[in-house]
Amino acid sequence: MQATVSEDLELIGRTCREFADRELVEGREERDRYPFGPPFERTLEKAFEVGLFSIMLPEEAGGSPDPVGTLCVILDEICRVDASLGGIVFTVALAQELIHQAGEPKAIKERTSSGGGCEQLLTAFPSFTDRCEIERSTALRAVGANGDHRLEGLAEYVVLGGMARRALLPARIDGGDGWSLFMVDAGGDAVRAGKPVLSLGMHACPAVDLELAGAPGRLIGEAGRGAGYLEAAADRLFVAIGAMASGVMKGSFDTAFDYAKERVQGGREIVGWSEVKMLLADMALKVKLADMLVGEAARAVDRGAGGWTLASRAAGVCVPEMARDVTSNGVQLLGGNGFMKDYGQEKRFRDARQLQTLLGSSAMNRLAYIEKVVGGEPAC
Amino acid sequence: MFDRSDNGVMAREPRFEEIMCGLLQSGKVPRAMVSETREAVALARRFSDEVVRPHSLELDRRMQEDPTYIPWDFARDANRWGFYTMWLPRFLGGKGMSLPTMGPFFEELCACDSTLGLLTAGQYFGFSILLASWNLRIIQRIVRDVIEGERTGEPCILAGAVTEPQAGTDVEEMELLSRAKVNCHARKVKGGYLVNGTKIFISLAQMATWTMLIAYEDLHRPEETVVMLAVKKGTKGFSLGRMENKMGQKACPVGELIFEDCFIPDEDVCYSSEQVRHLRRGPKESAMQLIDFVVSNTRPGVGAAATGVARGAYEQALRFACETEVDGKLLVNHEWAQCLLAEMYKNVALARMTYMEGTYVNGLYGITRLLSIKPVYYLDKVIPESTPRWIAGLLDSDSATRWTRKFLLDGQTDEQIARTSGWASLSKFAASDLALDTCEKAIELMGHAGTRHEYRVEKHLRDIKVMQIFEGTNQLNRLNLFKCMIARSTQEALIFSD
Repeated sequence: MQATVSEDLELIGRTCREFADRELVEGREERDRYPFGPPFERTLEKAFEVGLFSIMLPEEAGGSPDPVGTLCVILDEICRVDASLGGIVFTVALAQELIHQAGEPKAIKERTSSGGGCEQLLTAFPSFTDRCEIERSTALRAVGANGDHRLEGLAEYVVLGGMARRALLPARIDGGDGWSLFMVDAGGDAVRAGKPVLSLGMHACPAVDLELAGAPGRLIGEAGRGAGYLEAAADRLFVAIGAMASGVMKGSFDTAFDYAKERVQGGREIVGWSEVKMLLADMALKVKLADMLVGEAARAVDRGAGGWTLASRAAGVCVPEMARDVTSNGVQLLGGNGFMKDYGQEKRFRDARQLQTLLGSSAMNRLAYIEKVVGGEPAC
Repeated sequence: MFDRSDNGVMAREPRFEEIMCGLLQSGKVPRAMVSETREAVALARRFSDEVVRPHSLELDRRMQEDPTYIPWDFARDANRWGFYTMWLPRFLGGKGMSLPTMGPFFEELCACDSTLGLLTAGQYFGFSILLASWNLRIIQRIVRDVIEGERTGEPCILAGAVTEPQAGTDVEEMELLSRAKVNCHARKVKGGYLVNGTKIFISLAQMATWTMLIAYEDLHRPEETVVMLAVKKGTKGFSLGRMENKMGQKACPVGELIFEDCFIPDEDVCYSSEQVRHLRRGPKESAMQLIDFVVSNTRPGVGAAATGVARGAYEQALRFACETEVDGKLLVNHEWAQCLLAEMYKNVALARMTYMEGTYVNGLYGITRLLSIKPVYYLDKVIPESTPRWIAGLLDSDSATRWTRKFLLDGQTDEQIARTSGWASLSKFAASDLALDTCEKAIELMGHAGTRHEYRVEKHLRDIKVMQIFEGTNQLNRLNLFKCMIARSTQEALIFSD
């Protein structure tokens, strides 16, 4: 639980931890076999029932008064057990935030008022993509005007692409400046989902490449302003990537610590050897730092405190980097056992690196950070 | 100019003989070794292009779908190309490629796919254990099986079995072994040993025809009662347990070995404390020397594999940077990307230097010393591949084994053991750490593209992690380096007494 969260958030966190322990521990390895095993649709229904997909909705539609803080607490607890569900929750939240930034409350209301289950709230989005990647990509174009657009081309690495009914996709309108956001019926005839992407980690957070051949798309927000919406949404949600990484680190540390207390080498528990203690200390320190950083940054975002955008981005860039080190040591401390599927440590090692590429590569995100500072935002 | 009075200063740490191994060895390396190494690299590149690259990703994907699949087809390809006998000496009937060429060969294969690299060269881990026993009669017999396997097209693969469920790090170091909870018991009975116990994490377990098993006559004094037994597939009482499902190295099967009243006849006992009683070191020191002989050879091998992985990740990242535009220009033309690529290149180069240095040290002081002596080197090149009968007869005699051990084991000083073992550890942990860092940097540069299976980088990352773990964790290897290179000149230092 993050060090600085309020009592309300603490309660949400406890509930979420119980959910994660109850629903996500068992069958984790089996789910991680995706795409060679079934997707975890049943768990998604349960996640929907406890409200994991409505956090970023407007308050009147069931959203939270402290949406970013709430999202962070939830992602932290979920990713402690399984970062794949975290990736799905994050993608749904990002899509909702984008729609919100585009000033399209109607698009959200439509979905929440029409009843139905989880599928009403699931929206696919290429959440591992950054602004630069979309700008350089000319793969997806929108043809037409006045609300009647047809999308053509390839949208890569669309998370939930083969699962959600709708996909929120960036496309360039022919003849226009910049790129725009479009809502597309992902199950429509003109949309063809490729094979599930086989990726390093977060296997059960499914992604596909979508090929569109004249698929009708509804413009979300204003034409050519997609980059602005994505920047604004990313400013708020970068910290959520930090929260996911923080959860993965905690899971890795807990497992390594338990193992070190049990495993005997050289005639005693390995936790007694000082080099093992140093590795554990490095992990524990980073876990604590991550917890504080994410908690503080999330609070700053929800309060709109001065410098909140950089706080959010700093947490989103730096905490996953810490998670990289922590999960590597998390495998190392278990020796050969850490490399095998049995303890979940190898999954955390992979997941930590996968989530580090959410919203773009860490290198591009570092550059984007300093661009903001160059642009006048105070660095300290 | 060098003055005799300089001997005093030159006796100081760090020793010249330890920090200039490459230079010292350079004058001793036969000239033909250069063209031989070039030949090994060219061969690896051809094999990578024709066999490894076309099947690598498909095989890895298949293993993710079915982790119990055994890649026999690939092993048969490697066998057909002659790799399983390539580094066996000609006087034993092998192709006689010099052992120092194995590192560069291995690097090349691993730059494409380290799993298939291990499947090709992992055979020599088992052979290194066998060779370290210097039991010429059994070495010759098993090598004959490998050669026969090449002739028939059914590979005869060798494996080594050391790790146990409760003893991973402990079995690599005698000081720890004395406190270890080992379970693999070899009881002396009439005509051989009766073995009971389990071994885990054994590479190529499911494919091996011969497994070099390390067991202990007395589980309460394992460090003084080490035995090495050659166990053939199908031996009564020997069975395979579970096959591990791993993060990476998926096509290289790893499994558990179970021994239940498994009888191993005397003729398959490669090493026992009884066999080396005539040597000047006691049973514990002799067993440590045996382990050091093995790891001094195999740890730089891990260094070479790690170098290959680092290179593979770097090359993919470079290709991506040359194809991908960011802010209107190719990624490769951004200064930050150039610096990142330069760091990756540096990692590869440093990793390579460590394993090459480890190789030179072995030529000077270790396992390849004998075969690096120029007359022996050239003699082995001219001997016909089929072992002459008089050599076979000679090697079969007990006295040949006895005197070879006397020459090689007693002839190796404690200082030489420390140098080879210390450098091997340095190469192993430095190269694997550098390689992991390189894979991380590749993903940093490529973003989510680097995590997609088809770009290979994520596979390199999954494959490299275990190289920080097997052949002794990198933590144990750091301690071994301290023991071998630092502690001897530091009287206050105590080892493994935390």
